[in-house]
Amino acid sequence: MFKNHVKIAFRNLFRNKSYAIINIIGLAIGIASTALIFLWVEDELTFNNYFSNKEQLFKIKDRQTYDGKTYVFDATPGPLAKSIKTDIPGIKYAARCTWGDQLLFSVKEKNIYSKGNYVDPDFLKMLHLDFLKGNANTAFSQLNSIVLTEKNATKFFGSIDVIGKSIKINNSESYIVSGVIKDLPENTSFNFEWLAPFKIFENKNSWLKEWGDNSIITYVETEPNANLADINKKIEKYITTKSEGSTVFLSLYSMNRWRLYDNFDEQGKEIDGSVKYVRLFSIIAWIILFIACINFMNLATASSEKRAKEVGVKKALGSDKKTLVVQFLSESLIMAFVAATLAIIITYAVLSPFNNLIQKHLSVAIFSPLHIVALLCITLLCGIISGSYPAFYLSSFNPVAILKGSKSNTNSGAGLIRKGLVIVQFSVSVILIICTIIIYKQIQHVKNRDIGYTKEGLLYTTLKGKLGKDFGSVKNNLLKIPEVKNACLNNSALLQSNSSSGDFEWPGKDASKSVLIGMEYVSPEYISTAGFNLKAGRDFYPDALADSTNIIINEALADLISKRDVVGTQIYRHDGGTKYTIVGVVKDFLYNSMYSKARPLMLFSDASKANYLTMRVNTNKNLKATLSKIETVIKTHNPDYYFIDEQFDKLFKTEALISTLAGVFASLAIFISCLGLFGLASYIAERRAKEISIRKVLGASVQLLTVLLTKDFLKLVIIACLIAFPLAGWFMYNWLQDYEYHIKLNAWIFVFAACLAISIAIVTVSFKAIKTAIANPIKSLRSE
Amino acid sequence: MSVINITDLEKIYRTEEVETVALNKISFEIKEGEFVAIMGPSGCGKSTLLNILGLLDDLDGGSFKFNDIEVSDFNERKRADMRKHNIGFVFQSFNLIDELTVFENVELPLIYTGIATAERKKMVDKVLDKIQIAHRRNHYPQQLSGGQQQRVAVARAVVNKPKLILADEPTGNLDSRNGNDVMQLLTDLNEQGTTIIMVTHSEHDSRYTHRVINMLDGQIVTQNIKV
Repeated sequence: MFKNHVKIAFRNLFRNKSYAIINIIGLAIGIASTALIFLWVEDELTFNNYFSNKEQLFKIKDRQTYDGKTYVFDATPGPLAKSIKTDIPGIKYAARCTWGDQLLFSVKEKNIYSKGNYVDPDFLKMLHLDFLKGNANTAFSQLNSIVLTEKNATKFFGSIDVIGKSIKINNSESYIVSGVIKDLPENTSFNFEWLAPFKIFENKNSWLKEWGDNSIITYVETEPNANLADINKKIEKYITTKSEGSTVFLSLYSMNRWRLYDNFDEQGKEIDGSVKYVRLFSIIAWIILFIACINFMNLATASSEKRAKEVGVKKALGSDKKTLVVQFLSESLIMAFVAATLAIIITYAVLSPFNNLIQKHLSVAIFSPLHIVALLCITLLCGIISGSYPAFYLSSFNPVAILKGSKSNTNSGAGLIRKGLVIVQFSVSVILIICTIIIYKQIQHVKNRDIGYTKEGLLYTTLKGKLGKDFGSVKNNLLKIPEVKNACLNNSALLQSNSSSGDFEWPGKDASKSVLIGMEYVSPEYISTAGFNLKAGRDFYPDALADSTNIIINEALADLISKRDVVGTQIYRHDGGTKYTIVGVVKDFLYNSMYSKARPLMLFSDASKANYLTMRVNTNKNLKATLSKIETVIKTHNPDYYFIDEQFDKLFKTEALISTLAGVFASLAIFISCLGLFGLASYIAERRAKEISIRKVLGASVQLLTVLLTKDFLKLVIIACLIAFPLAGWFMYNWLQDYEYHIKLNAWIFVFAACLAISIAIVTVSFKAIKTAIANPIKSLRSE
Repeated sequence: MSVINITDLEKIYRTEEVETVALNKISFEIKEGEFVAIMGPSGCGKSTLLNILGLLDDLDGGSFKFNDIEVSDFNERKRADMRKHNIGFVFQSFNLIDELTVFENVELPLIYTGIATAERKKMVDKVLDKIQIAHRRNHYPQQLSGGQQQRVAVARAVVNKPKLILADEPTGNLDSRNGNDVMQLLTDLNEQGTTIIMVTHSEHDSRYTHRVINMLDGQIVTQNIKV
């Protein structure tokens, strides 16, 4: 019996070649899209799974509340790690870690930049790093030691037998290699290429001893049986026991949450991070699959008249309904398996461009048991979903009616469902088109936003070696290059501000409220180099010492201080210390978030804390030549530089990726829907061939007949648009609320999406319609 | 005046391997007001000839004058235009459109020739009256008997007042009583001046006509004129 089913199934596929091809291609694309999305989802969900003790790993979050708004940071005080490890039971390891440092490594003639962190020895133990050479216990026993990843060791020395070798860092000090570890997989939260003792960093930065300075990351591993609630309770107000009056609260933040959450609302409560995209694309994957299944249902029921006779004969010969259902299901299952095979090929073929797109290195790993099972499930599901409706529909035909040849009126119900399914397909496609356009427009909207200065032509380099100390002579040499307009030093890269404080007061300030103010330490050329506009007062004097107690603030802060002129007002920390006089107000420019308003900011004329050298160059001239000239000046220190506008674009990486992916999957959804529509149009054209011929003989023109055949499908697409509009509108409205600075939903976007869907549908359908309309009518009228 | 005048008409069907001559240099003339039957065994070329006469198919050689106009070199659009104004078709299998009512089926040719709605209604009602089927004007073809369906088909063929009616075995699917009704209807139309060419297998039906053209293997055997 089964053999018979398979035989008939294959014969049917071959007999209706074009429908079979449409179904299989559509389903294969659907399965391949789903496979790609799920590979991505799998990668995201297994993030940090490399660490077997993941459940016990945490980083410490710090919460500060200003003006009713809670901010959550990773930054913690320097003494915290050591202190909690001894004070709080249940904490097995605690380690400090820097934010990530790029150092220039010199080995013989090789000069290579490499990223890594300064960490406490506990860090090596809590991550169970796999030491190929050396070991975690002794790696940091000497101060100037360094642990390299396997890849990095090979890059520097060509081998991993490098214990005891010396590397020169930043052209100044030397570190001795004390260990080589296996590279971490890509889907972990760490991307260091080297690790060095935190002690080195600590010795250079005295502020790490302060409890009031939240400046480094603290990682913690708890005992396996530790009571987390207990630890959290003890840790919450821990800082207040060390620094009186502190309003900084701490909590453990599980490694499980780092990747997909790590987003907090204004109450400091955790909200969805990128997990919402993981969810969204999982849903899209299922929808695309369903759209592909719809094709099969539609074409199978549409061609049911052809199959009706087979059903009638079989029923008359004694086949029961169940056998018929099994037969039709086996047909769709066979088709699903053929499609799955094709999908594997497609997935392999497009994996590398897909990896490029999402900036990952996923692999199909078809023989991994999880993948085999997943593929099998998806295939079975497709086969059953697409086969079930046609199976029950076809097998319920009344054999007497069929064999007598009287047309069954069962068709109208099936026709209605067919129409409904086409509407579903196009609704989804239109929703995806609308989302793609709106996400794209939102990104463009923010990118084109006036951020307060001209990004183009600004480039910066990190301060290495003596670059900061020698700034005077470096600047003179830079300005000798005609294309270099100006240069300055600053402590955070433009677009960012890393330090902030809530401690500042001014006359008339409501003492009960603290305001979080960003702080930037800059050389006097800062404002003129970046190109900010002064709104009131003056710029810094060229002699920084003359402004050592003066500050320039931004409009956002000025508005908080007074509605009137604030120049001359003094600002001071609430615990006393220097009083700073406001000498100028600079127009707001955006930093940290490009989606919100500018936050309050103070500029100090003090380049001693600078980390960056920023230059403004004329980009109209030959940029390459200019850059090589700049390189000759700063090469001795640091030949590495970044463009502000490129950095700016990078801020939109997630959104740009989402927009591209939405676009890709919208196109796929449309394509699969059109395959189905084409099949359905072919079928309808075939079924109506006689009617079309009669009309033609009676004098209907080709145009008239084309319209006649296209019209019905158009109606469906238009209904689909009407369903899609409110859904897409609601969905996108909510999405845009995540961004303070966002576009308004615009009617033309919807109109455009509708026109696009309609025209694609028209092209698809009319191709077949025209073919039918120009066909010679006598062919289909010869019914004898 | 001749409605149809063909000389040395040829039609050849070509496939990759074989060339089949469907019509081999046939010539005849049909005068206005004539009622002609074309007879012959299956495959003799009757239907091919009828399709060419109906301007549904093109010819491969010879001359074809319709109303004294040479139409052998007409393109599809010109043929369609000539067809919808001058020729009505009646088929063996009726070829009514199932989704349209009796009224709508008959109205169809008038829509395609661009006649206004009110005028159309008048013309359709008149012709439905004439074939005595006006009481079923809102029924669908499936609800009618075969004879009624064929009468509707005839009504549709004549509603436009064509010069020529081409009937392809109009009684082939009917019993003798219904068949006679349809033949009587055609005779009446002919008496009112419409030229009719009918392909038929039936000796009985051919008796209604003025003359019979007998065909065999793509050629005309006799053109017997009856008195």
